Amino acid sequence: MRTFFKIGLFFATCWFAAYSAHGAELQLPSTVVANSAVSIPAGGSGQATLYLLGPGHVAKRQVQLGSQIKINPEEVRDAGRYLVILRSGDHDDSGAFYVVAAGPAALSFLDHPSRVPVAENDAISAVAFVLDKFHNVVLAPQTVNFRLTVKDAPPLLRSVTSRNGVAWALLNSSRKEGAAHFDASLGDIRVERVVQQVASDPCNLRIKAQPTPKGVLVETDPVRDCSGNALPDGTIVSFTAIGPDGKSSIDAPIKRGVARTVIPVPHGATISVASGVVIGNEIHVGGGGK
Amino acid sequence: MRASIFKYSLHGLAILAIVTGMVFGFVELIPHGLASPTPRVTLDASRIAPREIEDLTEHNVVRDYGLAWCSLADAREQNRPELIDAYFTGFAHDNLKQAIEDQKETGVRTRYIDSAHKLEAFFYAPGGDAMELRDTAQLQRQVLDGDKVVHEENVTVQYLVIMTPGADRWYVRGLQAVPPSK
Repeated sequence: MRTFFKIGLFFATCWFAAYSAHGAELQLPSTVVANSAVSIPAGGSGQATLYLLGPGHVAKRQVQLGSQIKINPEEVRDAGRYLVILRSGDHDDSGAFYVVAAGPAALSFLDHPSRVPVAENDAISAVAFVLDKFHNVVLAPQTVNFRLTVKDAPPLLRSVTSRNGVAWALLNSSRKEGAAHFDASLGDIRVERVVQQVASDPCNLRIKAQPTPKGVLVETDPVRDCSGNALPDGTIVSFTAIGPDGKSSIDAPIKRGVARTVIPVPHGATISVASGVVIGNEIHVGGGGK
Repeated sequence: MRASIFKYSLHGLAILAIVTGMVFGFVELIPHGLASPTPRVTLDASRIAPREIEDLTEHNVVRDYGLAWCSLADAREQNRPELIDAYFTGFAHDNLKQAIEDQKETGVRTRYIDSAHKLEAFFYAPGGDAMELRDTAQLQRQVLDGDKVVHEENVTVQYLVIMTPGADRWYVRGLQAVPPSK
């Protein structure tokens, strides 16, 4: 009987020792919103070392077992997985929890391109990443509004629900050239960009000719795109003369809306005009420019 | 005759010393530059939208994401934040740098023994200037306090990854672990 009692006492001692050694058990929340305080109940007694390893913060400190271990809000600002290790003597307990983004507070807005021809379908791309105030990606769906505004024209609007933290849209450029204000908004959050809308390819490119002592003065009508926007000065217009003397080409930039040049054609020629991929009319001039 | 044998022996010993020095020098370099195993990275871009991924981009994203993890592992093990500069940018870079600075301050290190990454690309911006992916990463890592291993884990972690193109590579701009989907 005494032997049985001793054996029982031995096992009880072992169990108690094992229980004591296992005193620092961790009960962690599965998810925590960024910048929230976390309280971890820690059983047992004595001191232990706490290790906290997150995506943007690592901490190590002594804590008292048998009470609540506090993790401060500023330690869990970055969304991601946090590993908690509580080490007491040679024994350690560990666990992990996830920090998720807080509410939306910022938009990371990418627009492309910065210059776009007018009246083109799906020419402007808008991408907005939804972030909280700690720059974590907000995964919960949010409605993002994109708006493209040009002076004296109705704005183009598009509402998009974000998925996996991103909302995107393709918008047509408007028919009027000039600086377009392009903004993405979500509630009170607004981010603005400027997209320069420029005239598209020329439309109805026409030339007229006039004899001069030095040759034929060839001049375009005011060069405009199909929406009536004047092509910017500096746009190159090519004049080509084909005649008995062969072929000659002259490139002239648009100045004040028109391009002009003088082509020497002593024996007559057919003169044509082109700008980019657009070809204009042809005119025939006789010898001496008549 | 004896003099020339002596001379050749000296030359031989010198060459042997140089070769030995190079070998040991290389071995010495391993913990500082080539310690981490190259992660295994695969990419499934079959559901990417709205822009289709180009073959070269697909290849480069796999390469650069793997190298980013390699640099992350080296930086976290050696507590050298500058190692992440080549493949991380933006907030991912800033967060990671802060974590490594904290490790340095506390004497903690993280050693990645092995990692495998299954990337799934699901968003590629129409302008080609951003890509969003999900990484199912299998990580085997140790946490060390000084040289003592205080914890070892073998975990599967899902990351939301944002990558943006640079002049000659794709940078990791966002690396956010997300709770496992239920």
